[in-house]
Amino acid sequence: MRFKRVFGLLCAASISFVLAGAASAQDKTVKIGAVFPLSGNAASAGIHAKAAIETAMDIINNAHPELGNFPLAKNAGLAGLGGAKVEVVFADNQGSPATGQNQALRLITEEKVVALTGAYQSGITLTASAIAEKYGIPFVNGESTAANLTERGFKWFFRTTPIASDFAKVYFDFLTDMKAAGAKTDTIALVHDTTEYGTSVASVITSAFKEKGMAIAEDISYVVNATDVQSQVLQLKEKKPDVVIMVAYTSDAILYSKTMQALDYKPPMIIADDSGYSDPSFIKSVGKITQGVFNRSSWSVGPPGSPTAIIADMYKKRSGDEMDDTAGRQMQAFFVLCDAIDRAGSTDPAKIQAALKAIDLKPDQLMMGYKGIKFDEKGQNTLASGVIIQLQDGEHYVSVWPKATAEKAPIMPFKGW
Amino acid sequence: MRRLLWPSVALALAIAYPLLFSTPFQQRLGALVLLYAIAASAWNIVGGYAGQVSVGHVVFFGCGAYAAMGAYSHFALSPLVGIPAGIAASVAIAAVIGVPTLRLSGHYFSMATIAVAELVRLIVSDTDYLGGGVGLSGPTVPRNVFDLSFISALPYYYLFLTVLVLTLGITWWMADSRMGFYLRAIRDSERAARSLGAPASRIKLYAFMLSAGLTSVSGTLYAAMFGFVDPESGLGILISVKMLIMAALGGAGLLFGPLVGAAILVPLEEISNNLLGGNGAGLTFIVYGAIIVLIARFQPGGILTLLMRLSAKPGKTPDISSAAGAPHAP
Repeated sequence: MRFKRVFGLLCAASISFVLAGAASAQDKTVKIGAVFPLSGNAASAGIHAKAAIETAMDIINNAHPELGNFPLAKNAGLAGLGGAKVEVVFADNQGSPATGQNQALRLITEEKVVALTGAYQSGITLTASAIAEKYGIPFVNGESTAANLTERGFKWFFRTTPIASDFAKVYFDFLTDMKAAGAKTDTIALVHDTTEYGTSVASVITSAFKEKGMAIAEDISYVVNATDVQSQVLQLKEKKPDVVIMVAYTSDAILYSKTMQALDYKPPMIIADDSGYSDPSFIKSVGKITQGVFNRSSWSVGPPGSPTAIIADMYKKRSGDEMDDTAGRQMQAFFVLCDAIDRAGSTDPAKIQAALKAIDLKPDQLMMGYKGIKFDEKGQNTLASGVIIQLQDGEHYVSVWPKATAEKAPIMPFKGW
Repeated sequence: MRRLLWPSVALALAIAYPLLFSTPFQQRLGALVLLYAIAASAWNIVGGYAGQVSVGHVVFFGCGAYAAMGAYSHFALSPLVGIPAGIAASVAIAAVIGVPTLRLSGHYFSMATIAVAELVRLIVSDTDYLGGGVGLSGPTVPRNVFDLSFISALPYYYLFLTVLVLTLGITWWMADSRMGFYLRAIRDSERAARSLGAPASRIKLYAFMLSAGLTSVSGTLYAAMFGFVDPESGLGILISVKMLIMAALGGAGLLFGPLVGAAILVPLEEISNNLLGGNGAGLTFIVYGAIIVLIARFQPGGILTLLMRLSAKPGKTPDISSAAGAPHAP
């Protein structure tokens, strides 16, 4: 009897010891939830996002002195929390807003994550962040560009990525600089498809340019996944605009390049709006006949040995693909979130929220070409911006603008083939 | 009296469920089961009882969802307004598309309904008033209780339970009425039913309209819970397929078939996603699909017919006559 009692006490003691041990071990990890489309239509984007977040985790959790002053890289773990490691729980949104919200709820209530990131598709970011708002959990998004996400009066939603109005400003500033350098930019033609993406970007560019007193001379639209764009290209050929801005998905972008070559039409300057023109398959198939096209991106690899080049290399080893703009923007959002947790020195959601509100990162603390990270009261990054890149050799884009961070000087006019 | 025993037990269990499983995720899972059970039960009226396999029911689901979000976005009204508005719109649409399509039989009817659903999805994607490709969202911060924007899943759970009981009540009443007998006769052989004087076209159309109205309610409830609808989530063909699979799996043409189907498939989908979704290998759908294949292979009449056969006393004919002619999982 007596032995049993002692034995029982010993058991209880050892169990509580083990539990206490587990608890203190748990204190040293910070759990963050990541909702991405790991299956379904956008699975490829989701898998790349996962690789990007894992690369960022590697940088944060292990010491990477080779990255220099890059935030969170130098020492292992988060210094503000005594070297705590970051743990990410990934969840699959299956391309459905309902599943995305269910998973966000599970991550918050079952996995007890202290913050969330994701969810790629704007519609899913919308529903997933709604549940985070209700539970008072910070949600940092790095890649969804729908304007309405930051118009909902949320207090826990933060977005680091530039949106269409930011890009319109980039194009305008770039053209102003080019004009100062002697290029002719008086007439501008805007070519776009009639999808949500094409029409919304086109209308934002048109109104932003108009505001600054620069009119769009030609607005040419076409139906997405076109089989023939000869009439559009002939229209351009006849009007001879100084600048052509292209808003097109991959298959249409390829078709435009081929048609321009077939009709022997070379506008003096083409500026592409990311998407199709950034797709590796675009560069592979028609890069050689689209030499000199300008494109926008917030990502540029930078010179060898720079933090961005090292990060790009780490990402390529993990994912097997070159780092691209989308993966970079997701990674940047994750760094911002971890940086806020580090500054908060706590896993209390309210303190993380306060740190996010107070965050003010400078360009040299970022991997993306933003002018910084500073959120307005709606949660949108006011310093989000992009750089202009150019496909000079038909194989690789190099950054050409703004001058301060450019790898090479822009080459004019458009060379084509 | 014995007839009411099992439904009462099921109802008692359903009422007690959120108290037994009290974590937010379990409660939400319960609410989702009920939500999908409502949609599948509504589909069951036309797909199960009348044997007309509609794959276009998502149109009615979308009517309800868009009516709810539209009422909020354009008129700042409660999403609940979507219930009458959605019912009115979907019953009207059902009448318009039902007259020509219900004349088609078998696969042709299914194909026609797919065409209608895809057409509606494309039109809505291009309609700015309905949010185009971006979709419409609901109240993010609730103004009052009628905005149906709750943190806990409990209010949704009991709301959905009430609607499900009503839906099943209507179905039960319909199945026991003259219309129910007509429908079963039409399902077994439309030609024979017509020759005996059953007004087949009219009855099928009534069933289609009733089913459409109830499906629209499930759409409104869905949109109210998730606070968002876009062409893919409100009008994607997969939603129709889900209703169909749930009803067929549980037992199409049986009152409780869709509920049993939803109670199996929804947790299966959510839990397999929780356990396997994070590794990004797409395992969720493999497991989910495999289980559906197994059930379709070994119990095509639905889980409920299996349970009925097992519970029937030996020597007595099992009472599965109402399911005997149920269409197999397509």
